[in-house]
Amino acid sequence: MMSSIRYSKTSLRIWSFSALLLALLLLAIAPTAAQESPFDLDRIERATVFIMQARQSANAPVVTCVGSGTIVSRNGLILTNAHHTVTNDNCPGTILIIALSVRPDETPFPLYQAEIVQADIGLDLALLRITRQNDGRLIDQASLALPFVEVADSEEVRLDSTITMVGYPGIGDEPIAAVRGTVLGFTGEPSGGDRSWIKSSVSIPGTMTGGAAYNQDGELIGIPTTAPIDRDSPEATCVIIQDTNADGLANANDDCIPMGGFLNSLRPSNFARPLIRAASLGLDVEIFNTSAIVSSSAADQPRFSRLFFSSSVNEAGMPTSVIRSLPSGGTSLYLFFDYYNMTPETVYELRVTVDGVVNPTFSLSPVRWSGGQDGLWYVGTTEQPLPNGVYEYTLLIDGIIAGTQRIVVGRSEPTPTFTDIVFGVEDARGNIAGNGYVLPVAATVSARFIFRNMTENLSWAAIWFREGEEIAGSRVEETWAYGTEGTRTIRIQSPTGLPPGTYRLDLYIDNRLSATSNLTLAGAQDGRFARIFAETRFTTADSAVEARTSPPITSFTAGTESLYALFDWQLMGAGTLWTLSWYVDEDLFFQQTAPWRGAETGEDFTLQLVGRDGIPDGTYRLELSLNNLEVASQSARVGIGQLPIDRFASATGVQIRGTILDALSGEGITGATVFIVTEDYSAADFMTAWQQDQLYATAVTDRNGRFEIDRLLEPEIQYSLAIVADGYVPILADGVEVTLDDNPVDLPIYMTRG
Amino acid sequence: MTIIEVGREETSGLSLRQRWSHYFAILYTIIMVIISLNLRDSILYATIPYENTQAGIRVFYPQNWLLDTDGDYVFRVRDMGQRDFKTTIQVQIIPISSESTVRNLLDNLAFTRFQVYAAYRQFPRPEITLADGTIASAVDYTFVFNNTDPFLESLPSVVVGQDIIVLQRGQAVVISYQASADRYDEFYPIFQNFLADMEL
Repeated sequence: MMSSIRYSKTSLRIWSFSALLLALLLLAIAPTAAQESPFDLDRIERATVFIMQARQSANAPVVTCVGSGTIVSRNGLILTNAHHTVTNDNCPGTILIIALSVRPDETPFPLYQAEIVQADIGLDLALLRITRQNDGRLIDQASLALPFVEVADSEEVRLDSTITMVGYPGIGDEPIAAVRGTVLGFTGEPSGGDRSWIKSSVSIPGTMTGGAAYNQDGELIGIPTTAPIDRDSPEATCVIIQDTNADGLANANDDCIPMGGFLNSLRPSNFARPLIRAASLGLDVEIFNTSAIVSSSAADQPRFSRLFFSSSVNEAGMPTSVIRSLPSGGTSLYLFFDYYNMTPETVYELRVTVDGVVNPTFSLSPVRWSGGQDGLWYVGTTEQPLPNGVYEYTLLIDGIIAGTQRIVVGRSEPTPTFTDIVFGVEDARGNIAGNGYVLPVAATVSARFIFRNMTENLSWAAIWFREGEEIAGSRVEETWAYGTEGTRTIRIQSPTGLPPGTYRLDLYIDNRLSATSNLTLAGAQDGRFARIFAETRFTTADSAVEARTSPPITSFTAGTESLYALFDWQLMGAGTLWTLSWYVDEDLFFQQTAPWRGAETGEDFTLQLVGRDGIPDGTYRLELSLNNLEVASQSARVGIGQLPIDRFASATGVQIRGTILDALSGEGITGATVFIVTEDYSAADFMTAWQQDQLYATAVTDRNGRFEIDRLLEPEIQYSLAIVADGYVPILADGVEVTLDDNPVDLPIYMTRG
Repeated sequence: MTIIEVGREETSGLSLRQRWSHYFAILYTIIMVIISLNLRDSILYATIPYENTQAGIRVFYPQNWLLDTDGDYVFRVRDMGQRDFKTTIQVQIIPISSESTVRNLLDNLAFTRFQVYAAYRQFPRPEITLADGTIASAVDYTFVFNNTDPFLESLPSVVVGQDIIVLQRGQAVVISYQASADRYDEFYPIFQNFLADMEL
């Protein structure tokens, strides 16, 4: 015979008593302290994972590299570094095993396997998705309800603010470590402007690379990042933990896990946001004209040259001037240099000494190269006072010194200077027009610069370069005869027209480089500006070939699986760096900068935007830019033109957990279900209707009676609560409200047999 | 001399009224037992109608089971009061081609479940006839279920399931019943009632 479902007809009187009991319990745990910080270390530690990259051997997976990571979405997206997850010479594994600590004081336990969904080798960021149980079974993404952290806007990080870095310091043999420090400063690079790196006041073990740093609100602001440890490097400690060659001995003949070093550099979270955005929306961009963007492999050794300093950088990433000293009180200093044959796998490092003493704040620990193959680069200190002294900047490539330059800070002498080179098209009145650093292909290009403290008869020179080679006949060498201060315009002309490409102007005073700037010539003249890309349009089609003849569309129906974006181009010189960016609702989700390798002029450059489950509703924008300057942009709407609200996106709220106990025996009740009902319904409503859409969250107790609500409760909202267990009187309570003062809430709840 | 009085033996200690009172008491008890059983059954087997015109199904599911229609199924109900695996009845509609057979569908279901469920095993069983006379294919299976929350210490439980597959109107209707092994038989009549009342 059937067993009865006893709770279904329980008296209201008992329910009321139970509700009262629960309300009293909630009141008993109500906080009395004043408003506390929302920093939730417990949740952060739960969201921190230990990542083991492994390769499959005959017997068992062999761990090849380790690192930390952080869960950034409820359904298992993990943010970490690329160097210990993406297969490379140093980390040759193909399996990613995710381990986590069930309790913060425990070592991590392997639970899942993950796959790489997004990665940027140069930025050294990777986004993984948990896809399988550790035994290889697939995981339904919808069934995952993992604790996760929110990613903050790293532009909001301020100097001296307190940060907490969290990760696994060992190779799986130590529990999570949380280290507190402050923001010491920022390091600028062209890949991310003045906030390319955040410098921390404390150094953490290199094995914590890929973990996360948090602000005082518990939001992720950066990813501790260091270059991969070369297992053959003398500085590396290579730990042997397995008998990988199956000879019955775990010894020096076996593969080892490289580890070592310390790091204090954080890759700001804003670099990771596009990866997370694309992965969470299931968006992928495919480029069909790959021959136009694939860089040729660098056969020669990477090298740096032409090291010089500038005190500021303009909007095109160019130095405003070349300096040899900086006045006291300066807060920014950039080292510029030309680079050649660099690859994303190349590791570079900056060591800065002040009066002969290494200064970790201004130095940059070994990191991967995030620029292109050849070009002009800078690395600099921003937003922090520079003490007086002699600064020596030493650049290293793969641990070998590649260049050194010195500058004195604290000396302020009025020296003759050229600054602020701006390029343009000169009109009949002698005015310079254009956007400054991207000009149309023409016969004449003008450059205007500011001069200060100049004296008569001072020798000066202007030299023009194209693709790094001096343009024959372009050199101007004169004595100065144009006054002490002001602006001056010079020009380069070619009767046959200047070919498209990347140009550079160097200005010298007394054979000393005083100012330099790059210029891109591309596209046809369109008034004062360059018309490089045209006919930018969107369409749908069954194939890329068909897309080229399909009519343009600006509004797509909801659920569109893919769309094509096409554009024509003209007069793009080989090697010209261009950037392709995709935005959804003005949030960047894809960006790629590469030298142009295609034909100089052509039609129908084709891209495809694909959604894993269809392209989500939203307004999508394709932006094409050169030298950080937008030169073409086109938008299209999908569905209602606005991203749907992700009700699980917020990691702010109160975690409810607890233990459900038998009121008589005090033992935990296994399999009890806890329902959190949305504020629109009462517990009684729910117990009458039993509809899933009335629920905010649920949880089931484990063998000890422990439960965890799988979704954070928002403060100042009145939820209802229902607890049912086979053989017990249900508990119902309305008006359950939580505050951030007490987080997480751990409830002991007693149920009476009935 | 002793006088022994031999009284007349009473033929009955009960009056007619008392006798009828006994009869009524017994009858009343029997009636109450019957009413209780009916009441119990009406509670246990009380159902609520659910209709999805888009999918073309009308079912009656057990009262006080949690109704969920947001997943990759048309309809799912679970008995949330149970301790281990929550007994589940689910209706899923899978589009099929005109060439698809039940065998193909069963294989696809098995391929998926082998990848998702731990220790999944499948057992064929004879076709069954639904209440409306439709011949449906069926398959039994077992797997091991565990709570997905890694921070809880939940013990796995063995689940037994049955799929009933009906091909109609270019789609396959998969009706699934899953319960923990120790309660499978106990709740199977509820599933049978569900099948009996279902309109496709």
